[in-house]
Amino acid sequence: MSTSPPPESVTYRIRHTTRYRYTDMVAIAHNEARLTPRDGPQQRAHSTRFVVDPAPSFMVREQDYFGNWVNLFAFEEPHHEFSLTAHSEVTVSARALPELVSTVPWEQAVTDTLDPAQPEQLEALQYGMASPHVQWSPALHDYAAESFAAGRPLLEGAFELTQRIHDDFAYVPGVTSIATPVSKVFEARRGVCQDFAHLQLACLRALGLPARYVSGYLLTEPPPGQKKLVGADASHAWVSVYCPGHGFVDMDPTNDTLVGTDHTTLAWGRDFADVSPLKGVVLGGGSHTIDVAVDVTPTQTAQQQQQQQQ
Amino acid sequence: MSTPASNAPPDAPLSTWAHYAPLPGVPDELLDADGRLTPHAQRFARAATQLGREELGRRWDRAQRELRENGVTYNVYDDSRGTDRPWQLDPIPLLITAAQWREVERGLVQRAQLLDRVLADIYGPQELLREGLLPPALVFGNPGFLRPCHGGEHGPQRYLHLYAGDLVRGPGGGFQVLGDRTQAPSGMGYALENRIVLSRAFPTIYRDTRVERLAPFFRALLDTISAISPRQQERPHTVLLTPGPYNETYFEHAYLARYLGLTLVEGGDLTVRGRVVYLKTLGGLQRVDVILRRVDDGYCDPLSLRSDSALGVAGLVSAVRAGNVALLNALGSGAVECPALMPFLPALSKRLLGEPLQLPSVPTHYCGDPQAVERVGDELQRLVIKRAYPRSGQPEPIVGASLDNAQRDALIARIRAEPERFVAQERVLLSTAPSWTGEGVEPRPLSIRSYVVSHGEGYRAMAGGLARVSHDMEFPRISMQHGAGSKDTWVLADAPVRHVSLLGSGQARLQLSRAGGDLPSRVADNLFWLGRYLERVEGTARLLRGLFGRLTDEVSADDAPELPALCHALAIHTELDARIEFKLDGGDPEQLERELIAFTCDGALPHALLSSMAGAYRAAFGVRERISGDTWRVLGQLRSEQQAIAGSQRLTASDALDALNRIVLTLAAFSGLQMESLSRTLTYRFVDMGRRLERATNTARLLWSTLAGVQPDEGSVLIAVLEVLDNAITYRRRYQGVIQAAPVLDLLLIDEANPRSVAFQLAMLHDHVQQLPRGKERPFRSREEQILLRALTSVRLADIEALSEPDKDGSRPRLDAHLQELMEALPDVSDVLTQGYLAHAIPQHSLGPRGQSDAGLRLPIPKEEL
Repeated sequence: MSTSPPPESVTYRIRHTTRYRYTDMVAIAHNEARLTPRDGPQQRAHSTRFVVDPAPSFMVREQDYFGNWVNLFAFEEPHHEFSLTAHSEVTVSARALPELVSTVPWEQAVTDTLDPAQPEQLEALQYGMASPHVQWSPALHDYAAESFAAGRPLLEGAFELTQRIHDDFAYVPGVTSIATPVSKVFEARRGVCQDFAHLQLACLRALGLPARYVSGYLLTEPPPGQKKLVGADASHAWVSVYCPGHGFVDMDPTNDTLVGTDHTTLAWGRDFADVSPLKGVVLGGGSHTIDVAVDVTPTQTAQQQQQQQQ
Repeated sequence: MSTPASNAPPDAPLSTWAHYAPLPGVPDELLDADGRLTPHAQRFARAATQLGREELGRRWDRAQRELRENGVTYNVYDDSRGTDRPWQLDPIPLLITAAQWREVERGLVQRAQLLDRVLADIYGPQELLREGLLPPALVFGNPGFLRPCHGGEHGPQRYLHLYAGDLVRGPGGGFQVLGDRTQAPSGMGYALENRIVLSRAFPTIYRDTRVERLAPFFRALLDTISAISPRQQERPHTVLLTPGPYNETYFEHAYLARYLGLTLVEGGDLTVRGRVVYLKTLGGLQRVDVILRRVDDGYCDPLSLRSDSALGVAGLVSAVRAGNVALLNALGSGAVECPALMPFLPALSKRLLGEPLQLPSVPTHYCGDPQAVERVGDELQRLVIKRAYPRSGQPEPIVGASLDNAQRDALIARIRAEPERFVAQERVLLSTAPSWTGEGVEPRPLSIRSYVVSHGEGYRAMAGGLARVSHDMEFPRISMQHGAGSKDTWVLADAPVRHVSLLGSGQARLQLSRAGGDLPSRVADNLFWLGRYLERVEGTARLLRGLFGRLTDEVSADDAPELPALCHALAIHTELDARIEFKLDGGDPEQLERELIAFTCDGALPHALLSSMAGAYRAAFGVRERISGDTWRVLGQLRSEQQAIAGSQRLTASDALDALNRIVLTLAAFSGLQMESLSRTLTYRFVDMGRRLERATNTARLLWSTLAGVQPDEGSVLIAVLEVLDNAITYRRRYQGVIQAAPVLDLLLIDEANPRSVAFQLAMLHDHVQQLPRGKERPFRSREEQILLRALTSVRLADIEALSEPDKDGSRPRLDAHLQELMEALPDVSDVLTQGYLAHAIPQHSLGPRGQSDAGLRLPIPKEEL
């Protein structure tokens, strides 16, 4: 993490390239991409432009149930590979967060106490139930409960949980896949960002606390004096906890941090299954290989803008 | 149920029913509390009595035979008879008066309207949640609530076109709903079949009893299909989407499709192009307007819904949203097929329809409500615990009274841990109706599933339904999966019944098609591969037979110099390459025998005997509705042989030889049926093309692997080749004892009169491809014709003397080149056919992080090239 005080807002240019290569010819492929950043509590999305090769037979943009942008497209001619690059520009702003210790007691945020007549709380209730990737056991419930003593302020408990997950679990790429259930991750105590996000969601929801899965990117700072590596950045995932009176508040268990201006958001949902960046169904194809490259480059910060103006 | 006793004649005249005694304290549908016939049953009872008990039994035997012969089945999972359990129908119909039924109909129609409005709300503005009329968990925690189907302004006019309610008699005598069916209600086809069988078996009883017809219901269904088609100017092209032959109610899917004039399709038969749904046929893509689906909604689109579904059509959700196709029922309508909704229906009815709920549910408590959980603990004895959101494969409902104390405590603990996943329903004392047991008539508990279809602005109910009876008197579970029987339901008309024809003259569907161009590609693909796999089995079996025959003759390797050549041929034939070498270690036939037996029993080798047999069965199963009973029995024998070999612990060479002989004969039976019973349509052609292509390849390979180089002691090799190809006798008759390469090649390569020669296969193939449908008239030959004509001509013009002449190194370079060229051309034929006609049938699978179970999705047939 950077040691200088965080800038109030940063504009990023994001480039996300996915390339599929098949061993056999693909006759037809239908795809759904959630690669167009959405607006969020801390983010304004300015534009997204797609470069697709070969040219898709059609591409339309729709909003899904959660308000994410979905690009639907298909290849209807035989092909052996395709590549898709999304070029986006977003501005992320720092957010005035409440003092964690002054937030409501956590018991006042559980689904049973929320009022569906209030639009914000009805929206929150969407994220309070088990979902395909977010299931829990009594053991997981007990692990979560350690951070939520009676009457503890909600965000204080939630952030402590974030920190505990960071401390108790090892970041080890390659040992889990998206099919690995939370229970396995909990047992093995290792995984990657999506595992930790699902794990924290399962903990929170086991207690009845609504929280959503956020898919996006993280700007990884290069060591001082070194050039930022192109393509070193990757897709990232974290969680967002519902806090009555403040809306959803993002926390990143992989990096032990509240979310400031280093995170850019693509989409959110109940879990990964709702926001998979790119999925498709192909006819034929045999086996395939995937290459993904992501660049997140700050174009300028608000401070720089002010300096320029002066 | 009680009826005024004064209406019942004192002399219930009915010897047939004399011994029928309902259970004490249990309401019965035929007799009143005093054991007298209910008035409405008189007409039926009189007619039945006139027929006499013996005649009744005789006719019923005949009707049941007819049911079996028509192949009316209900597939029971995990049944040893697998997919062939005969449909259970009781000859005694359930009788209901018109007046009583009108009340039921009104209630069912109202319930359908209500559930449709609930769907429109939860897939739209969700006001019911805001107003507190539905707990949020019932929508957000409901696995049937499909977020991609949330419509906004794109939602369909109507979600629920077909609705079915399972009805039981409540304590007051009126009907109650035990369960709602809103996704793809099953059973209406069986109801129709039951009606047809019963009315044919007992025409006089049927006529004299005056029964309301079922046809108006199906007529209304066809009207609705026309009305919801997105292309109003055209006659809608409607398909019935089935999960396939393994589904429990597959018979019904095929039956309804035939009755309604719809095309029966599986997900793989459909494709979405540019957000429009098409049926893939040999003649090209045909646009589809309406889909009557029998696939559960979550499985309908592997792109937007469940990515592990192999039953759906990628892009279907998108096509629906674009307004290019209509579904009955709309995707997402399974969200209200849950007992958890029942306690909320009375309030929802007042709110959405402004009227009280007419047809009540069996009293049901949603355990997500904390008060309900307390009651469940106290009153478990008289409750049935069900899943709040039932899905197939989940545990069955639990009858509280059937549990001991420990089980009770465990169940209550489970409910407390996850209360929102359970409902508790009051246990109903089911009414009984008389059922024929084979010897006499006994009371059996029953429920009725009846149907409602949308029609114009409203709904229309079926006059009748599928009644089901349980044979378990203590804890009846009325489920066909648990061996329940069925009954026809007769609604007794007040007035003479008018005949209704399903097909008005202006409405009859004309199926215009050239040369069966509307054969779905998947069907053709399966037929083609059925032919290929069967021929591959035969080729492998014949080679193995040649080898085992030589080993059981107690020969040493020296006495059978052709053994290495045959082993080499087997390796080439099954594409083993370097995977397994058949070594004759120091001429050790026992070693070879062990290796051959292991090879024969290996179900995992992709091109070997067992996997080819499995492939043939898989391909046949995929087109089961097009395979005759006799042919199916032959394929069943082949299946048994396969299972016997796979399951055998210690196969000896002579066991193997016996099994191989039986396999070759079974295959001959298949060929015979194919030749004599199949009309020469595209169905026949695709099976035969598969077979000819495979045989041409196999024969060319055998000749190449044995004759391209001159083997030591070539005479023995030539004799073995002739034997394997069943040509030894023909050769001997033509050439007596003299064995030479040139005449063998003549016979097996270019003699077009020999059904095992390469030339014969090429000539047949050439004939077939000329008859295939083409998209447009073309003046030139198709690509497959060109390849085949070139190959055929080159074989016809071959100079046998030159081909069989070895050079000084002992190889035949010209034969080698000739056969290589042929072996390269044949896969091209398969490719071109696949691209031209079958390309649509390639299996699809999901990509992206969730597609990691790809292997499981590649259901149809592996497409290895030879």
